[in-house]
Amino acid sequence: MQHLSDHETGPTARSYPISIEHVTKTYGGAPAVSDLSFVAEPGRVTGFLGPNGAGKSTTMKILLGLASPTSGRATIGGVRYDELPDPTGTVGASVESDAFHPGRSGRNHLRILADATGTPLERVDEVLELVDLGAAANRHAGAYSLGMKQRLGLAAALLCDPPVLVLDEPGNGLDPQGIRTLRNLLRSRAAAGNTVFVSSHLLGEVEQLADDVVVVNQGRLVTHGALADLRQSASLVRAASPEALRIALEAAGGIVESGRPDTLVVRGLSLDEIGERAFCAGIALYELSRHTDSLEDRFFAWTGGADDGPQSTTKEEQ
Amino acid sequence: MNRFRTVRAELRKLTSTRMPLAFLTVLVVIGVGTAIAVAFGTDMDGSKTFISTGAEQQSLMAFAANALVIAGLFGAIAVAREYSHGTVVLTFLTTPRRSHAVLAQLAAIFVAGSLLGLVGAAVSAGSVAVGLTATDYGFMVPAAGLLQVLAASTLAGGAGAVLGAGVGSFVRNTGGAVTGTFLLLVIMPPLAVQAVGGAASWVPTTLANVLSGVDSAVGVGAAIAAIAVWALVPAAMGLVGVARRDVV
Repeated sequence: MQHLSDHETGPTARSYPISIEHVTKTYGGAPAVSDLSFVAEPGRVTGFLGPNGAGKSTTMKILLGLASPTSGRATIGGVRYDELPDPTGTVGASVESDAFHPGRSGRNHLRILADATGTPLERVDEVLELVDLGAAANRHAGAYSLGMKQRLGLAAALLCDPPVLVLDEPGNGLDPQGIRTLRNLLRSRAAAGNTVFVSSHLLGEVEQLADDVVVVNQGRLVTHGALADLRQSASLVRAASPEALRIALEAAGGIVESGRPDTLVVRGLSLDEIGERAFCAGIALYELSRHTDSLEDRFFAWTGGADDGPQSTTKEEQ
Repeated sequence: MNRFRTVRAELRKLTSTRMPLAFLTVLVVIGVGTAIAVAFGTDMDGSKTFISTGAEQQSLMAFAANALVIAGLFGAIAVAREYSHGTVVLTFLTTPRRSHAVLAQLAAIFVAGSLLGLVGAAVSAGSVAVGLTATDYGFMVPAAGLLQVLAASTLAGGAGAVLGAGVGSFVRNTGGAVTGTFLLLVIMPPLAVQAVGGAASWVPTTLANVLSGVDSAVGVGAAIAAIAVWALVPAAMGLVGVARRDVV
């Protein structure tokens, strides 16, 4: 994919927060999304995380008017998608990685979109070059690799240069160079004040891309906040009597996870508070430091998935 | 203006794959078969009575009934594939008011079906004319009759395509849409005639032949209205279904 021009960072005249307000969606009585609420702010990249079947795609389809919520409301800039005066000029979306007619060329796929939105056809070639598909523009989309299909989907989302991007798993199938360029593109758009809302199960990708994360599991919100805060909200303690220290810290309101045999991961207490509690309990500390979990560690803790690391109830789940 | 743009996008959808070419090929194959039948075919008694009068020749080139079925399948496949390939997602993203999106789609499908019907009738008439050159008979269909055949096939093609599109958007599955359209236009009408004798005048084939001027079971106005009903009922069902259901 190509380097971005200033133009490709997108418009900034008006900001459009994405707001999910108590959205519930049931299929045949089974909840796919349950009372989900969060806001994705302009100027930030919001990663939307959850295991398969967590309700991410359903939430995105409700946001884009492709599915109706059983209750609740999803808005963009305070307005439902189907009530936006210029929906495609406001929101660029890619929610199906293979939503192409296999016998239609990539260029014609975008020309159809350009026709429907009143976009000049020259813009089609611009975005094809932007996502590095210019050479393959006249090939049938059915012959594209998964990565090329992802790039075509991204080109469609960028066609009208919208201030909001909603992308479902945009990094799937991209090679490392493609992922880096995607990351740069999304970050630059967010830096220009645009709203970027991206679902992904590639945790490493989100870790490098997102400012905020929204984590869902079984249709429910697990946690939501700035990624940096969520990752750095723990302290690592190595002590002579870890079990005695655990009791003392839990009595002080801390949430304690077991790490290695002599190590505790503590949330909800500052470093000073931990030190004071250990001193009062007469427990020698060998190490007391800020602990930064990887997003993968946090993800498994939030969603209760398989993990070799610490297993405990986190504050966000309570 | 927005609706015009949407119709233009729908027309580009229809013309940017090989599907129209495949259907045009079918029309040419039918035309070649017609020309061979006219040139070398005979009645049971070995005569060429079936091309001996203008009325007989007009009956041979009356393509409207075929246009109904062929354009019906075209409409069914074109719309159902939108769902099977997921391209309908982009359609509803660009035109969130689904009724507008479906109406634009039906308008484009009507235009494409009409063109298919017109080309089919023209190929059929040309095939009859070519086939006649190998016989002792000349081309005896008057200009008015030829125009009626072309107009009837054009209208029938448009109606058939709208009917198929309605079935396609209701069923949302290519195989199901083709089967449903075939059932509606080919299988069910004879069964309905068996069940209700008076229905014979109102089945699509009879109505198409009335439009072509080769049957007089009902008046032309009534035939146009009845064919419109055949097309619009499935289209309305598709419209309601699309407006109510989620895109999954």
